Amino acid sequence: MSAPVVKMAGRCFYQLYKLSNSAGRLASGKTGIRQFSGAVVKNAAEPWRLLGAACVQRLAVISADQRPLEAKFSELMNQMELERSLMSDHELRLLDDKERLRRRQAVDYDSDEEEEADRDQDIVLTQDLEDAWEQRLKGFATQPRARGVVDARLERADRCLAEPLLLLTQQEVGPERLWMLPQTPWEAGETLKTTAQRALSATPGLDLQTVFLGNAPCGLYKYRMPRSVRDREGLTGVKVFFFKAVVSGPLPPPAPSSLWVRQSELKDYLKPSYLEKIRPFLLNL
Amino acid sequence: MLCRQTHVPRIFVEEHCLTRQSPWSNTVLTLHTSAPLRAEPKKKKKVDPKREHVARERLKKRLKKLEKVPPELIPIEDFITPTKCLDEARGRSEPRLPFEESERRALLLKEWSRFKHAQHTAEMEAINLALDAQREALEELKIESEELYKAAIKPDPLVFPFSHEGPCYTPPKPKYDAPDGKYHDITKVYTQ
Repeated sequence: MSAPVVKMAGRCFYQLYKLSNSAGRLASGKTGIRQFSGAVVKNAAEPWRLLGAACVQRLAVISADQRPLEAKFSELMNQMELERSLMSDHELRLLDDKERLRRRQAVDYDSDEEEEADRDQDIVLTQDLEDAWEQRLKGFATQPRARGVVDARLERADRCLAEPLLLLTQQEVGPERLWMLPQTPWEAGETLKTTAQRALSATPGLDLQTVFLGNAPCGLYKYRMPRSVRDREGLTGVKVFFFKAVVSGPLPPPAPSSLWVRQSELKDYLKPSYLEKIRPFLLNL
Repeated sequence: MLCRQTHVPRIFVEEHCLTRQSPWSNTVLTLHTSAPLRAEPKKKKKVDPKREHVARERLKKRLKKLEKVPPELIPIEDFITPTKCLDEARGRSEPRLPFEESERRALLLKEWSRFKHAQHTAEMEAINLALDAQREALEELKIESEELYKAAIKPDPLVFPFSHEGPCYTPPKPKYDAPDGKYHDITKVYTQ
């Protein structure tokens, strides 16, 4: 496995090296004349600013609570399975013990009638064994599933363990500060995925280990600039490309100006047009 | 082979000019032996051992073929019902379900199938929407820059093997030292 991977990685690096060597796309202000080795100039008259954004999800850590229908159905399935099954050794032993006890406690108990093997046995009842096991289980303390206090704090990454959370950061767009997925302008000589990774590492105070799922963007958000800006700076609009990532490794401590938000809480923080473009690739997963 | 010839060779006539010629003398004297008679007696040393050797080898081959038994097939444990399961004493007494209970079960099963069908359609729709969003993003990227598009559609070798620990019932305990489990491995190992 190692040899082909190394070869592919080498090829990847070579491509990046080629990209970094060729002149990149100029940002706003100048007429967009690119000098890729003989490549056709695209959109020279109407330049769009490119941004890379990272859609980071902390996936669920514990299983969600069952809905009432799911609970009823799982109970029914267990019942049906029990009815159609055979008795296990443990259950047979339980029955045997019951039988023996009943015989011993009968009025006309004759210990000589008891079989040779059973007579000398001091009954370690299977019931006692079961009780001992249950005691041992109770002695083991598990972490609680629902923690109301932690769930209310939005900056904590370990809130709402049963649901996947999305990372939002506050950024300045024009005159206002808005909540959105971490993004940063694309610079010449890098792929958009690297831009997204840079956006994530540029978030102040965030110490995160992520796995980016593939090289391709999962979504796009574009908007046109108002006419004044378009005339002044020659910039038609902005295109934001989103890249999906998943948190791996330990959960990060809270960081300033970053929130971990559930799907249901997104509408309180994001602009409607932005949210509409993001929702498809969030997939509620 | 003896062949009668009336022709009398000259030498004999000159030597025995005085003898009386008997009826057999001609033939006896003119005995012509054929090549095999003239040759050495049959040597039975080389040919027979070789023949015997070949015969013995053929017999051995036939024996080997008979002895070749195909290797015994390894039994598949899952296909053999263990005798413990066939014990009648293990059967549960089948409870007779009242009408309400069987009705309740039937209705619950139907409701569950409706719920699962709705869930499946919702999932499929969500996946299609996500794919559409990705397709749109890639198209726009292609319009913007060919190189970036090519870099985007390249497969990422570092993603696989991908592993993620899935959701458990309770959250993980911080600094929990799980005890080593003891087990006796009783899997049967077959050799052919």
